[in-house]
Amino acid sequence: MQRPSDEILIAYLDGELAGGDRVAVAQALAGDETLRARAQALNDSTRLIRAAYDAVLREPVPERLIAAARAAEAETMIQHLMARLEHWRAMMGDRTWWIAAPVAASLVGIVLGTGMGYFAASQQGVTMAAQQAALNGNVTAANWLDNIAGYHELFVNAGPDDRQLMDVPADGGNDALRKAGQLPSDFHLPDLKPWGLNFQGARFLVVEGQPATQLFYITDNQSLGPLTVVVASTSKPDLAPTFDKRGDLNLLYWRHHGHEYALVGTADIGYLWNISNDIAWQLDAI
Amino acid sequence: MSASFNDQLVAVLPRLRRFARGLTGSAVEADDLVQAACERALARTHQFQAGTRFDSWMFRIVQTVWIDQLRSRDTRRTENEDAAINMGSDESVRRVEARMALGEVQAAMDTLPSDQRVALLLVTVEGLSYKEAADVAEVPVGTIMSRLARARIALLAKLESGVALRGSSDDAKTE
Repeated sequence: MQRPSDEILIAYLDGELAGGDRVAVAQALAGDETLRARAQALNDSTRLIRAAYDAVLREPVPERLIAAARAAEAETMIQHLMARLEHWRAMMGDRTWWIAAPVAASLVGIVLGTGMGYFAASQQGVTMAAQQAALNGNVTAANWLDNIAGYHELFVNAGPDDRQLMDVPADGGNDALRKAGQLPSDFHLPDLKPWGLNFQGARFLVVEGQPATQLFYITDNQSLGPLTVVVASTSKPDLAPTFDKRGDLNLLYWRHHGHEYALVGTADIGYLWNISNDIAWQLDAI
Repeated sequence: MSASFNDQLVAVLPRLRRFARGLTGSAVEADDLVQAACERALARTHQFQAGTRFDSWMFRIVQTVWIDQLRSRDTRRTENEDAAINMGSDESVRRVEARMALGEVQAAMDTLPSDQRVALLLVTVEGLSYKEAADVAEVPVGTIMSRLARARIALLAKLESGVALRGSSDDAKTE
């Protein structure tokens, strides 16, 4: 047959031809070595273009763009945030609002019953003394990262019969979190659906001796994977976002105005960075 | 204003940045363009038709804003602008390689006529079908097909000649 034009050949390579046209080009390729070389060169250039521009996807999205994308919400949120700020100021007169929560005592029991049980089973090298020290809050920064990585793995490896690990189920959401008394009354769950992440539930922890909440999300996106978000109270000074690793887990953590935040997951660091920007914006934690 | 609209907008930001980077050839200009497109989209949410592709709608807005900017001012691109290939702080080998590839391909892309560049970015980079790309660019499918072919052939020639030139230059150095 007559050699197809470059236009037709490219349409064929792009999967835009159907039926007889597609068959005709396939036959031409089968019998024409020069044409096959041309097609291969076009395919190679396509891969190069995609690879080059895919690099942009791994860059952190600037905060100003996330803010711009959520700008319509901002108008209504400004009043909400101002009210929240006043409310938090009142509550944080003594910065112990979480500790003062009426369920603090049961919280320790939960940690003993689930978290430590898990670590005792999964981290054989960790002595009971070290575990007790962790409970008392005498842990180093490295240890708290070890711990939240462990908490993340706990959920990742949990089976369908392990739902009791969750203190707040997925369908509980904001209301259940607030009713549990661990979070400010106007706390709202970070919405990570734009990233394909769906909230699965929350658990109350102790991180560096302070009450904390672990929020667990899953996704069908295998390149992203499950994600843990930890929000804790802290008396430490603010800290810029910092990366760390534990095994195949990436961690990104920062501190802002008496709160510590951490993301844990197998997601690429660029993903974590972008998600952290979104969470920081949603929680006013920048 | 539905929350899902904002959520969709946040989710598509990385791809809008990629598309805008291809259009402008500059990281800074690309982010300015995306920001302007977000603002325009939020002002025109009522124009988005439920059930249609949100990303295509946003690509069309980015392209429209870009054309408006080109018309209203003389867009000057800083050659070899380092920010244009700013890949963030990760220094892994993979990213360094990507950075090199991006620079080379962008240099070649920048020489293409803007309508060809749009077709190439929409179909080859963003993975839209010819029909979807035609809707975004508001031209017939046949026009997208011919623009795309001209772009791909021109780009292939430029990349091949770049490799050839670089190879001969390297040869000269070793002689």
